Amino acid sequence: MTSPTDPETRYAISVQNVSLFHGEKMILENINFCVEQGRIVTILGASGCGKTTLLKGLVGLLKPAEGRFELYGKDISALHARGWLQWARKSIGVLFQSGALIGSLTLSENVALPIREFSNTPGQIVDEIVRLKLAMVRLGGYGNYYPAELSGGMKKRAGLARALALDPNILFCDEPTGGLDPVISAEIDNLLLELNHILGITMVVITHDLPTIMAISDWSIMLDGDARGIVATGPPKEMEKSPDPRVRGFFRRQSPGAKTG
Amino acid sequence: MERGLPFETGRSSGGELLVSVKAPLTFENAAKIWEGVNTLITGHDNGRLVFDLAGVSKVDSAGVALLRSLERLCSRRGIELRLQSVDPSIRHFLDYFEAGAQEPRPCPPAIAPIARLGAFLLDRAIELREFASFCGSVLAASIRCVRQPRRLRWRECLYYFQLAGSDAMTILFLFTFLLGVVMAFQAAVQLKLFGANIYVANLVGLALSRELAPVFTAMLLAGRSGSFFAAEIATMKVGEELDALTVMGFDLTEFVTLPKVLALMLAAPLLTMWANFSGILGAILVSGISLDLTPYAFMHQVYTALTFADIAGGLLKAEIFAVLIALVGCFRGFQTTMGADSVGRQTTAAVVSGLFLIIFADAVLTVLFYLLGW
Repeated sequence: MTSPTDPETRYAISVQNVSLFHGEKMILENINFCVEQGRIVTILGASGCGKTTLLKGLVGLLKPAEGRFELYGKDISALHARGWLQWARKSIGVLFQSGALIGSLTLSENVALPIREFSNTPGQIVDEIVRLKLAMVRLGGYGNYYPAELSGGMKKRAGLARALALDPNILFCDEPTGGLDPVISAEIDNLLLELNHILGITMVVITHDLPTIMAISDWSIMLDGDARGIVATGPPKEMEKSPDPRVRGFFRRQSPGAKTG
Repeated sequence: MERGLPFETGRSSGGELLVSVKAPLTFENAAKIWEGVNTLITGHDNGRLVFDLAGVSKVDSAGVALLRSLERLCSRRGIELRLQSVDPSIRHFLDYFEAGAQEPRPCPPAIAPIARLGAFLLDRAIELREFASFCGSVLAASIRCVRQPRRLRWRECLYYFQLAGSDAMTILFLFTFLLGVVMAFQAAVQLKLFGANIYVANLVGLALSRELAPVFTAMLLAGRSGSFFAAEIATMKVGEELDALTVMGFDLTEFVTLPKVLALMLAAPLLTMWANFSGILGAILVSGISLDLTPYAFMHQVYTALTFADIAGGLLKAEIFAVLIALVGCFRGFQTTMGADSVGRQTTAAVVSGLFLIIFADAVLTVLFYLLGW
């Protein structure tokens, strides 16, 4: 999964020799990985290691200083802004950390927004799609509520419904369970698994929530701030046994200086 | 396919109307199929429709929504709709959405218009009571700070004083200078007819010092500072900064509101005097050009016409307006609920309420000054 040059596999995402900067500061250097269609890949690591920066690069919000991001073989860094937007709006969905719902719109209007804007679907069918999407994230009947009237978990689920409005092939999630209690987190994990199994959506999930990583990942990629890049990849159950102290420490919730038993 | 439609029509073995879809049921085709079938079933009320999906290779959520919408449409028209030749993978997909859609739906209760009006009036009454209570708490905090001046956050006071005061001088100068120009021009046209050119100075001087300078200064303060106070406090509330201050044991009125109120109280009379000066400057310029009045003659007439009460009355008005603008700006900020839209709403409300209070207070004070003979 991590070989970017394997010609046998159809990759949904391919990241090739990418370096990303925040202003003058280099955050990630020479990153390489690929994601197969229909898989769930988690990107993990400690706070400040560049997970969200990488996500911004993957969704076209941050241009790489070097290298290329490819989605279905299309180099998104080479596309001009308008071309990227036209292609991206139908191919990718993004669930932001806070849900990023528009506060002045109801949930139904939030979900309907991209459908009305970017498709010629008749109004009655748009309303039906919105009902289906909200029911899919267990928010059936909350269509008339405003984001401010919802709990954190509900906002994330509503954000998920909006991200899935146009049936994207790839879903990017930034900390989908961040700040939520274990029960709601498990609910979101199950929802992501269900969407992956039934709709076949490829998912890239940024998280440092261990139960989420173990529950949903087909494959994990661990970033490290000091290394400014990937320090380990693989199924999380195998990564747990890694001899690398940084990886082991992350999975065993130990600080680098702590003694192991 | 008929006329480029993504389906073919015919009759089933049982004589039912048959629609054989020959394209994916996706966002791209949903509109065409919906419109086509809509036209097709017009006039077939109480009949039977078979939807053949043998030629459908892919379904997305628009396809599912299309089928559900068609079901609803047919049921309204008494048409019996039946799906046939559904691929198992597509059936699985349809069932998944079907299962989700059957969940219970807690809907917010519908409110009757009269109840909405009642709720609106009740909300305003509660708001008024809360504003009164807020003003009371500011008064109590002010008394505490008068007794113990060290409690007041003087640095913040100076910061807001600079923001509301000196930073507003340029725009206020332009504002009232042009006001003086316009007033003098309008007065000159009329007064020239009676050879009473010199009375332009009386008119401009009195109107500015008693009325226009304090009101225009207050309007500028409401637009600049009232909105700023509301937006700042609202953002602090959304960012949980106010909660953090409360749990740390700070009195929000003392910490957040009082420096703003005091800063505006200091800035408003000074800005009003600045507005008097710039307005008169504008009037002198026009009088010099169009009425042949020298600046000395103009100012001499102003000194003769104006009394201490005229200037002091204007400054007192400015002081009262400043307190109202600061209080309503802060109050609106505290009223913010969670969400970015609430910040915008409260900022607008701060300006609108501020302007209303300025005009209302001006009317009351003008009548009061008249009754007191000031």
